[in-house]
Amino acid sequence: MSIKVIMVLVTLYFLGAFVFGASMTYPILNKKILDREAVEVFNGIILYIFFFELILRFFLQQLPVTNIQTLILLPFKKRRIINNVLFRSVFSGFNTTPLIIYLPFAISMYRDDYLGTQVVAWWMALLLTTLCLNFLIYIINKNNLYFVLLLAVVAATVALYLYTEFDLGHMTGALFDAVVAQPQLVGFFIFPLVLSYALVFYFLKRGFYMDAGLAKTKTAVQTGDYSFLNFLGEDALILKNDLRMIIRNVRPRQVVLMSFLFLFYGLIFFTQDIYRKQDFVMVFAGLFVTGGFCLTFGNYVPAWDSSYYKLLMTQNISYKKYLLSKWNLMVFVTAISTLLSLPYLYFGWDVMGIIIAGSLFNMGLNTWTTLFGGLMNKTPMKLNVKAKAFENTQSFSLNQFLLIIPKMVLPVLLYWLPAKFMGPTAGYLSLAGAGMLGIVFKNQLADWVTVLYLKQKHETIEAFNK
Amino acid sequence: MIQLNSLSKKYEEAIVLNVDKLSIDKGEHFGLVGNNGAGKTTLFSLILDLIQASSGNVTINSIEVAKSEAWKKDVAAFVDDNFLIDYLTPEEYFEFIANLRKVDSAALNEFLQQFDAFFNGEILDQKKYLRDFSKGNQKKVGLAASFIGDPSIVILDEPFANLDPSSQIRLKSFLASEGNKDKTLLISSHDLNHVTDVCERIVLLEKGNVIKDTPKSPKTLKELEAYFSGQ
Repeated sequence: MSIKVIMVLVTLYFLGAFVFGASMTYPILNKKILDREAVEVFNGIILYIFFFELILRFFLQQLPVTNIQTLILLPFKKRRIINNVLFRSVFSGFNTTPLIIYLPFAISMYRDDYLGTQVVAWWMALLLTTLCLNFLIYIINKNNLYFVLLLAVVAATVALYLYTEFDLGHMTGALFDAVVAQPQLVGFFIFPLVLSYALVFYFLKRGFYMDAGLAKTKTAVQTGDYSFLNFLGEDALILKNDLRMIIRNVRPRQVVLMSFLFLFYGLIFFTQDIYRKQDFVMVFAGLFVTGGFCLTFGNYVPAWDSSYYKLLMTQNISYKKYLLSKWNLMVFVTAISTLLSLPYLYFGWDVMGIIIAGSLFNMGLNTWTTLFGGLMNKTPMKLNVKAKAFENTQSFSLNQFLLIIPKMVLPVLLYWLPAKFMGPTAGYLSLAGAGMLGIVFKNQLADWVTVLYLKQKHETIEAFNK
Repeated sequence: MIQLNSLSKKYEEAIVLNVDKLSIDKGEHFGLVGNNGAGKTTLFSLILDLIQASSGNVTINSIEVAKSEAWKKDVAAFVDDNFLIDYLTPEEYFEFIANLRKVDSAALNEFLQQFDAFFNGEILDQKKYLRDFSKGNQKKVGLAASFIGDPSIVILDEPFANLDPSSQIRLKSFLASEGNKDKTLLISSHDLNHVTDVCERIVLLEKGNVIKDTPKSPKTLKELEAYFSGQ
């Protein structure tokens, strides 16, 4: 119950943050860029918002086809079922951008000196485009090739903008500028929507058989040879399996991709002078840059193995070895992330120092804290199904919430206290040292977590069996 | 070899299993029959320490299963889908189990040859993940894998279910083959014919209690049929 309350509060907070952020955008844009209207500036970047939205949708949004499967034998016309599914998809959480981002902006426009018709037309144009993206994604979703195509278009747009006069973002913006200038033009935005709807409708109708569009896609086998890992001896066994799990299943791939995105976290913080002076922001950012995989993957150990947990529990594997193998994987990826984050050196040694210290802290301690937290995560994992938006929160518990203290608050203190009295170097050393302790005492920590794991063995098996 | 001592399992107030004393000897082929809900899977799960006993305990070679993990090296089991790793190909799955059981790949290949007929050319070299196999073929993989590394105790829950008739017969002859003579086999089944063919001792469970515990005789099948038809 208390968890639900926290979840609602967290959601409200983010909603509020978005709405507030969007409302603030207008005055900021209005003040800073004097020679252009705020709306024009916003319209100029709208294409990138759409791109970002499409990519996000690709990874998270799914057409509720499972519902089709139950309807297919019942006496409904195909058209009706498809229309129904598509209609319901409109109410997906992904279509809230018009409400939480564009609407506050539109209200600010109205409070400035735009006419009601102008504002409404502009907002309607964005709403119609968002819905168009909503339908397009179901086509993109079915085929990775389309996604590659999308990425190519994004890359081409950016390249053209950087190296030539051709600015697609500006051209898209001009369409929306035109709507502001002549509100009746919004009528034209109906066409792409109708077209995308028709396309996806046709697409679904053509594949309306259990063995075609509705079938679970069978994947071609990737027979990677992992024998190069054999030098690790027995440790290689679970590691090999984990690599296969990550490569061959949708959900873990998503996690790896997300953790890759964590690498760019620093760009938000290290580029701003306001943040550079805030110790706690620097520590957070430093931890996040390299901690993406460790924090997200570890959180689902042992849930990753939930579908064959009984096998692991009856086979000849000691729990400690199992845990250490997961730990090794997390440390390894964190180390790779650290290497990949070397370009941050561009922002100065203070940034690099916090990233390396944070990375050591992630390897030594956050790994264990996350593994401990993962144990409380007793929701069985469907490996080959995309996570729905906010699905991660289903297994959110108060205990995991409290783990933020050792994961995030502790490192801030470890840095801040010595840094305050003895300078930043002492802060780096203290943070890194704590992490090193975790690496040195990994066997003791593993023993300790193993005891906890064994205590919960039966409870976990039962939960995963559902 | 396997000892059950005043073992019981309760959920809330419902008693799903209550066995006072039961011992299974080394090399015994032990058949467990009973209707749905009789407690067959519960019994196997308790032996494998997958669920916690409400009272009593299970020992395998005098090791209490809930207290130590040392029994695991002697035991293999295939109880349900949760024993398969569905994103592996059958070859990779066999290799995984073989590695755990310290069987090298040459020995594994030799071991798999005896299943040629049972696999019927539908298991190996299919370039498919286990999740894309039919239920019956998945089962074949799980059954074969549980014999990798020559475990002295093999526990199979409903091994005949989902198999086509030819495969059922081949499985029966494999279970009864020379190589499995010295193995302790624990097999549950709804199919009275099969279980009486393979096993030399039949235990009948009903509502968690042992109703009948007899060595197999020519009359056993008739008696069981009579029992289940309610006479």
